[in-house]
Amino acid sequence: MQATPVVEAKDVTFSYGSLPVLNGLSLSVWEGEIFGVLGANGSGKTTFMRMMVGLLSARDGVLTVHGDSPSPRQAALVGYMPQLSALYQELSIRENVDFFARMYGMSDRRARGRSVEEAIDLVGLASRSADTILKLSGGMRQRVSLAIALVHRRALLLLDEPTVGLDPDLRAVFWERFRQMAEAGTTIMVSSHTMDDAAHCDRLAFLRDGRVIAMDTPSALRAATGRPDASLEDAFIHFLRMADH
Amino acid sequence: MSIDRVLAITERIIRQILRDRRSIGLLIVGPLIVMSLVGFSLYEQRAVLDRIAPGLLAVFVLFFTFILTGVGFLRERAQGTLERLQTTLVGRFDIMLGYMLGFLIFAVVQTAVILSFTIFALNIDYSGSLWEISAVLFLVVTVAVSLGIFISSFANNEFQVVQFIPIVLAPQIFLSGVIIPVEQMPTLFEWISVVLPLTYAVDALREIMLHGADLSDIWHNLAALAIFSGALLAGAVATLRR
Repeated sequence: MQATPVVEAKDVTFSYGSLPVLNGLSLSVWEGEIFGVLGANGSGKTTFMRMMVGLLSARDGVLTVHGDSPSPRQAALVGYMPQLSALYQELSIRENVDFFARMYGMSDRRARGRSVEEAIDLVGLASRSADTILKLSGGMRQRVSLAIALVHRRALLLLDEPTVGLDPDLRAVFWERFRQMAEAGTTIMVSSHTMDDAAHCDRLAFLRDGRVIAMDTPSALRAATGRPDASLEDAFIHFLRMADH
Repeated sequence: MSIDRVLAITERIIRQILRDRRSIGLLIVGPLIVMSLVGFSLYEQRAVLDRIAPGLLAVFVLFFTFILTGVGFLRERAQGTLERLQTTLVGRFDIMLGYMLGFLIFAVVQTAVILSFTIFALNIDYSGSLWEISAVLFLVVTVAVSLGIFISSFANNEFQVVQFIPIVLAPQIFLSGVIIPVEQMPTLFEWISVVLPLTYAVDALREIMLHGADLSDIWHNLAALAIFSGALLAGAVATLRR
C-alpha cells in the first residue's frame, strides 16, 4: 500500500436543503483495493458517490480523489457507473458505449473501436452489441452501463450499486470481473446495501446517517462482534447498535 | 470546445430521432393537420388568409420547433444521461451546440413542410422571394431551438414542459402582431412586444410577403432574431443543470 490514498474524505458534510445527508463522513481508499460502502437506503452512499465525480460539492470537510478536489473535468479520469443505468434507449449497445467513449475524449476512431469492443466483451455482451437498449433486460442494461464505465480504462472505478437487480449468477460474474481488475491494479469503490456484495470487498465502510460507523476488512468487522460465527450482517447490526449508544 | 464531441452529440440525436418512426411521422403530419385546419377554414376568404399567412408561418414554426426541442432535451435529463454526460470531458457549450445542430436539422425539415404547404397547398398570394422567406424562418428555428432548450431547464418532467407552452407561446401569439398589429395595442403591450422574438419574425415576414421587401430592408429584424437566438442559447448554457 502506498502513502497517499486514492480517495480520502475527512469530515465531509452535505445536505439537500435543510435535510442533512452526510454528517462528517471520513474514509480512505487505497490503490488496488476493492472498497465497499455499505449502508441502508438513505444512508448517503449515492450522495457520496456523486460527490466524488463532482456532481455535488461538499458543504464542509475535505474530499480528494487522486489528490485533487473532485470536479466534472477530473471525473473523466474516473470510471463512473451511476445507480440509474442512464443509457440512450434507441441506440445499440455499441453505439452507447462508443458515444460515451467519444465524450471521454477518445477521438481516434480505430483505437476507440477496439476499446469499445473490449469493454462490451468484458461484460459478456459481445453477441448482443448491435441490439438496442430497448430490447435488453434490466441486468443487461446494468452491464452496458458498466461497459461505459470501463471503456476509457481508468485506474479508479466508482460503481454505485452495480449489482442491484442482477441474478445471483450474473452477480457472481460481475464480482469475478471486479476481482480481475483489482488484481491488475484498478482501485474499485462499490456502494451496496447487500451483505452478499460486502463479502467480496477487501475493506468495508458501514454507513449510517451519512457517517462511517465502522471501517475495516470483512473478517475484522466480523471478529469485532466477539462471536466466531458472526456474519457480516451480524457485524453490521452490531455496529448499528453501538452507534445508537 | 471539442468539434468531435459536438458532432458526436449531433449524430447521436439524429440517430435517436430517425429510429423513432412514429415521432418522425408526427413531425411531418402534425403541422400539416394544423395548417390544413387553419388554412382551409379561411380558404374562401383569400384576402384574410394572404394577410395572416406570414404571421401564421412564424407562429407554427416557433410552436412546433419549441415542442420538439423542449421535450427532447428534457428526456435527456429524465433518463439520467445528462448527468452522466457531465461526468465526462464534454462542456456545457458543446452539449448545447450539439443539441442545437441535431434539432436544427429536423426543425428545418419541419419548417420546409410548413412553408411548402402554405405556399403550394393553400396557394397564398405573396411577394418577395422564397429563399428570403426561408432565411427568416431559419432564424425563427434557431430562436425556437434555443428557447426550447432554455425552458426545459426549468421543467422537471414532460408535464411541466407542456405547462410552459401557453406561458411562453401565448404572449408571443397575441402580442407580436399576428392577430392585431402591434401599433394598435395598448402601450404596455406594445412595450412587451419589443422583448418577444416573434414580433420581429412576423414583421420581417410581413414586409417580405406583403410588401416585397428584401433582406436588406429588414436587417434590423434579422439582427434582433439573431440576438435573441444567441442570448437564449447563452441562457441555456448558463442554466444547464442535471
